[in-house]
Amino acid sequence: MSDQQSDRQTVDQLDAGIQALLLEKDTGLLPSNPAVAELLAVAVELRTLPRASFKADLQAALLGETPSNAYSAAATGTHGLSQQALSHRGLPQRIADPARVASLSSDLLPTVAVPEHSLYPVQRSSFMTSLAAHALILALLITSGIWAAPSFHEKTRVSSSVVLDIGSYVLPPATDRAGGGGGGGDSDVLQASKGSPPRFAREQITPPAIVVRNEDPKLEVEPTVVGPPALSFPQTSQMGDPFAHITGPPSNGAGTNGGIGSGAQGGVGMGNGPGVGDGWGGGIGRGLYRAGGGVSAPRPIYDPEPDYSEEARKAKYQGSVVLQIVVGADGLPKDMRIARSLGMGLDEKALEAVRQWRFEPGTLNGHAVPVVVNVEVNFRLY
Amino acid sequence: MKLENAVDEQLQIAAAQRDPAEFAELYENNFARIYAFIARRVPSRQDAEDLTGEVFHEALRTLARFEWQGAPFAAWLLGIASHRLAERWRRAGKRPEVAENDWDETGVDARTEENLILFQLVDELPPDQRLVICRRFIDQKSLKEIAQELQRSEGAIKQLQFRALQNLRSRMRSRYV
Repeated sequence: MSDQQSDRQTVDQLDAGIQALLLEKDTGLLPSNPAVAELLAVAVELRTLPRASFKADLQAALLGETPSNAYSAAATGTHGLSQQALSHRGLPQRIADPARVASLSSDLLPTVAVPEHSLYPVQRSSFMTSLAAHALILALLITSGIWAAPSFHEKTRVSSSVVLDIGSYVLPPATDRAGGGGGGGDSDVLQASKGSPPRFAREQITPPAIVVRNEDPKLEVEPTVVGPPALSFPQTSQMGDPFAHITGPPSNGAGTNGGIGSGAQGGVGMGNGPGVGDGWGGGIGRGLYRAGGGVSAPRPIYDPEPDYSEEARKAKYQGSVVLQIVVGADGLPKDMRIARSLGMGLDEKALEAVRQWRFEPGTLNGHAVPVVVNVEVNFRLY
Repeated sequence: MKLENAVDEQLQIAAAQRDPAEFAELYENNFARIYAFIARRVPSRQDAEDLTGEVFHEALRTLARFEWQGAPFAAWLLGIASHRLAERWRRAGKRPEVAENDWDETGVDARTEENLILFQLVDELPPDQRLVICRRFIDQKSLKEIAQELQRSEGAIKQLQFRALQNLRSRMRSRYV
């Protein structure tokens, strides 16, 4: 065999060995030619010969990084590698795609979702344990305001008081009826006799009288009762108290300060004022009194305080509720209504409490009479 | 490592810790050794590139924590590389074949040095031989494809490949004899 033929065989054997090496085929046979075996040993190391562009690419990737995108590159595991390198890593095409890689960097927990992308190997069990522990700590921190702080309920203070209406009496507006009342008399031993009251006028100069004591007045003035002039009573021939039960003998009644009836202040009836009927101040009344002018105010003798509503306590809501109630002659609250509302359940709490109150009733001339009073309930937090 | 080189490297590290852009010089000085170290221990170029990238990225990320203790910077990088290799083997369920400290105090181990020299020698080959080696081993082209690209016969390319490997072997021998 000539040297030329021998060299050609060596070259062919070497190329066959390199071809098998590159295709990663393990023939299991060592080349018989020692020269080829030596050269193949060199060729084996050349399989990892670095690409010229790799060093430059990696340097660019490293120095182009900022602290923020350093993580991104590390998390996605791309490290500036080429598409070819990525595909050689056996990553799915959707991940190897550069656009996909860029979007993955913003995905939630890429190191867990794609283990190949992690800078460090992530053990999912450890990661989930850590995540759960952090979540628990975070939850404890968030709720610590509830369970760590001493149990604290705002102290509530509720006070209630009966408020007397001391303003001047004003007739409530009405088209056919006016509140109030009046009464009078001249301390006669007989009850006032039944009859009709005189006409209503804005002011009263002369109180009415059935039995005229002054037969010869120097200036005669028509007797009137105070009230809207439009008000009228069914007229009879006899002047008297329309609420009286007897028709005679004529009497101005047992009241005082002029007028007719058992009341006072120049009116007609059992009231207290220049009007007609039960009541106070004028007009026609038959029922309720207001404190003052001889009518004593009801006095609470049992007044449990209302509770604070939970809703208002949580909202730290405070204020006053005013209830208008009628304290009956029996000392029980009746006809309750809310004169000033507060809301948040406090109105109901006030009504619920005041309904249980018991009063010493107001009196007129020593007799218990129903009296309208306001009850102010103050709800305060401190 | 000479004292003046150590001082230079210490200064380079301090500069890179202040400004990551200064990492370029450290990268330039250590890339070949780290790549060679890894390439000897993984089966493919892709693995070598991936791990090398990871090592330098981690090095850059954790450089602020690096404390100069007299050992070369390469030793620190090789430590990172060693951990990376061990992790990779562990994840693959295989026994790590890399000892963590199979390099000497200068950051040099014999196998790495062989690879390092071999890769440097490729750059010193005549241009036509270097081109054939790169096309064959990096691009994994067949002799026929290379012949078409260079407009030469397959036999000529085969000869260039043979001579290139002979050159590399003889130059390697000359380095160690």
